[in-house]
Amino acid sequence: MNNYLAVCVLVLLTARTFAAPEAGSCPTRDLDASRVAVAGGSITEIIYALGAQDKIVAVDRTSNFPQAATRLPSIGYVRAVSAEGLLALNPTLVLGEHDMGPGEVVEQVRKAGLPVVVLPEVHTVQGIYEKVACIAQIMDAQANAVAKLRDAMDGMVHQLQVDKGGERPRVGILLSLADGVPTGGGRDTSAHGVLTMAGANNVFAGFSGWKPISLESMAESDPEFIVMPVRGIEAAGGREAVLAHPSVRLTKAGKNARIIAVDGMTLLGFGPRTLVAARDLAQQFKPQGDPG
Amino acid sequence: MLTAQVSKLWVLLALTVISLFLAFSVGAIPLPVWEILRQQATDLQHTVFFEIRAPRVLLAAGVGAMLGLSGACLQGLFRNPLADPTLIGVSAGAALGAIAMIVLGDLIDLPAGWAAYAVPLAAVAGALLVTSFLYGFAAWFGQFSIVTLLLVGIAVNALSTVGIGAFEYLSDDRQLRNLVFWMMGSFGRAGWDTVIPALLVMSAAGILLIRQGRQLDLLQLGEAEAAHLGINVGRLKRVVILMSAVAVGAGVALSGIIGFVGLIVPHLVRLMIGPLHRYLLAGSLLLGAGLMVLADLLARTVIVPAELPVSLVTSALGAPFFLWLIARMRRR
Repeated sequence: MNNYLAVCVLVLLTARTFAAPEAGSCPTRDLDASRVAVAGGSITEIIYALGAQDKIVAVDRTSNFPQAATRLPSIGYVRAVSAEGLLALNPTLVLGEHDMGPGEVVEQVRKAGLPVVVLPEVHTVQGIYEKVACIAQIMDAQANAVAKLRDAMDGMVHQLQVDKGGERPRVGILLSLADGVPTGGGRDTSAHGVLTMAGANNVFAGFSGWKPISLESMAESDPEFIVMPVRGIEAAGGREAVLAHPSVRLTKAGKNARIIAVDGMTLLGFGPRTLVAARDLAQQFKPQGDPG
Repeated sequence: MLTAQVSKLWVLLALTVISLFLAFSVGAIPLPVWEILRQQATDLQHTVFFEIRAPRVLLAAGVGAMLGLSGACLQGLFRNPLADPTLIGVSAGAALGAIAMIVLGDLIDLPAGWAAYAVPLAAVAGALLVTSFLYGFAAWFGQFSIVTLLLVGIAVNALSTVGIGAFEYLSDDRQLRNLVFWMMGSFGRAGWDTVIPALLVMSAAGILLIRQGRQLDLLQLGEAEAAHLGINVGRLKRVVILMSAVAVGAGVALSGIIGFVGLIVPHLVRLMIGPLHRYLLAGSLLLGAGLMVLADLLARTVIVPAELPVSLVTSALGAPFFLWLIARMRRR
């Protein structure tokens, strides 16, 4: 009962947040993208995929794919960038994800005459396509590179449609089992977006954001599959420890040992890799013994 | 004897001025101060100096000065070397106000011009509310003792932590991460629109606090003795507690929580110029400003182009120093 109350309060309190996304649409004005500072892992990933990485002067700490990006100068964590640090790199443009901040620092940078573009974040396949198209336009990427990436993405989306089962399995994404309490991904999280893409129902759709889940509500939501980042499983003491955990043991996923490990970053930043992750999940969600 | 203390204050003033000069000149973008004064800097350097670095350095100096000053006042008032602004609920109250606004602010439509002030104002309001409640509750029993105030302080801090925890639970991912970075403390958000009002409030509260030096000296004899010597002890308590809340609250509202400065600076100054509050207060104000400006300088230059949370720097330097201080006192 208390949980329901908490959920109701949560829904009421956060209702306005969903209605108004922070960032606008892709800017069409002319931007000089010869020296770009990037704040957001998925943007870095897309710029590399478009072959425009020579124009990147620095990235943030969430930009860890591809490996080469980690060797670029770091402007710190995407939510805590430094105004002077950014300006000192002498970029012509700052490209940031929706969570770039703090807002005051973004304002300071704009006041100093450096354009800052914050890309909208939409957790759907369409959202990824729009992000790629926007970045390709801003970076003035070569047409054949754009076409190549688009073809690769079309292929992944096609496979995703093929692999999506007719039945929608009930799945929960757990970030960690830190201190024995699982943290689950509710509505309006990237986790929810990936599960929807993979043709699954999010068992934690009753609340918004990442929240600790009590043992009882874990048993009640009873997911058929539990998806966890590799690091989360390691931190919990390995696969066996996760299966033996009281909050997992009582669920269908626990009884049938259906714990799926994923690379955490493909879930958090929404880029082309997220399509691959969604497809991998869709394949693993298929009923066992089902051919193809 | 007296001249020795005054001359040491002059040394502290000189150190503070040197730190300010360093902080103005050094950073991710090299800014030779004399070129700016002679109008020979580029447009970018000009903007960075006046719009980013100057408000930041001044805010750091103000917050450091007020943490040092109120720490010295509170240690004098409580006659306890462990007292600092967190004890009277300022930090917890400010954090409670800030998180309430971060979480609930999304529900109310704020006029565009007000958005920058919303979280700082809520933090000041939280700091004042929690501290006033603490003071009011303690004063409810009539002539309250310092021990009562200490105990009530612990309880009120615990209550604020409950409130912070509740809002943390209600917040979504984005709000939670904003809160985490607010709590870590940074002067990077400073802009003139918020720094100037904060500095004005801090100056007014600071002037009131620094004038309590002689009364605090007499209070060291004991509350009853001070009252016999003509000190209005009730008024002294009220002024020190509430003005500390105003001075520190106005600062941390913009910078977030910054640890250890309020606790350690008065001890350092006591080592230098002795325990007399009429000098200790001014010294703590100067040293607090100087140290905070240097800590912020470290925070923003160690890992350029990124920066460290300033509270990490002050705690990393402050905690080991405090251990050394304890060891030193025990040996004697």
